[in-house]
Amino acid sequence: MTSAVAQDDEATDRELIDQAHSGQWDAQDTLARRHRQSAFVLALQMLGNRDDAMDVAQDAMLRFFTTLDSFDRERRVQPWLFTIVRNQVRDLWRRRQQRPGDGLVDGEALAGQLVDSANPEADLQRQQLRKSVWRAVATLSETKREIIVLRDFHDLSYKDIADVLKIPIGTVMSRLHGARKQLKAKLEEGGHHV
Amino acid sequence: MSEPCGRTFDEALISGYVDGTLVQGDAQRVQIHLEDCASCRALVDEITAVRETTISSAFATPADHEWPAEAPQSTASRTARRLGWPVLAAWAILLAGVGLLEAWRDADDSLERLILVAGVSGLSLLFLSVLLDRLKARKSDRYHEVHK
Repeated sequence: MTSAVAQDDEATDRELIDQAHSGQWDAQDTLARRHRQSAFVLALQMLGNRDDAMDVAQDAMLRFFTTLDSFDRERRVQPWLFTIVRNQVRDLWRRRQQRPGDGLVDGEALAGQLVDSANPEADLQRQQLRKSVWRAVATLSETKREIIVLRDFHDLSYKDIADVLKIPIGTVMSRLHGARKQLKAKLEEGGHHV
Repeated sequence: MSEPCGRTFDEALISGYVDGTLVQGDAQRVQIHLEDCASCRALVDEITAVRETTISSAFATPADHEWPAEAPQSTASRTARRLGWPVLAAWAILLAGVGLLEAWRDADDSLERLILVAGVSGLSLLFLSVLLDRLKARKSDRYHEVHK
């Protein structure tokens, strides 16, 4: 029999965390289903490779649940999970002897993971533009890429971004603006004007 | 393509303006600036357009069956594992200490004791070497401030 928790997708993350703390496995399962895809996408955007992203996302989810006891229930789940994903990505780069600056990803591979809209013919121009933008995002340094994807894809608030990147909230706006300006320049270099 | 804004203006405020995160005073300052700065108006439009493009994107995600089927660990399992490692480490240290002490007492001559001392010294030097490497790596590790 499926418990009420597993069926209750409307429960807030905080309620699910409380239930998970009290040992309800279904609550953990609901949390995992709710957040694992965004963990995967963030890893994909940072690594550009689907297999690596899946490995990182799985490790991040495991790490999330093994550290659940120390999770501050006042925090939001997604920034906490994204912090773990970011660490896992950096661990992967470190294991592969990659240093910051080496973390560029294959723009074609990343753009190739975009899902076409429901009506691709009517939306062809828009989809081409999306591909161009993500190819350009792929050429940004990982520091710029991560702040762009956290704000302009995952729609995190400045406070959540500051939490994930471990930077003062006052730095978020200037770093984000620098990244946006560079992205704009890359698009212009490629002959794309949005 | 917009020309750079030549005036004294903190251009990063443009991003805060687009994101709606500015306090009222800063937002008004940006609005006043935008009224007579065509290049910053163009920048607002470009940033907004790129953001609309990225945020409306969707990536192919793994199907449910591609994720591991096993349930996450229970609280009891996590607690047991967390306690288990320190207890195991303490046991191993105690066992090694008692073993060395016994071996020292049972040693018949100075040669056996010399072998024991040499073994312990070698292990200690190897441990020290790894420890020093780790400490050095930690100092130069850009990511050490990122908590796991």
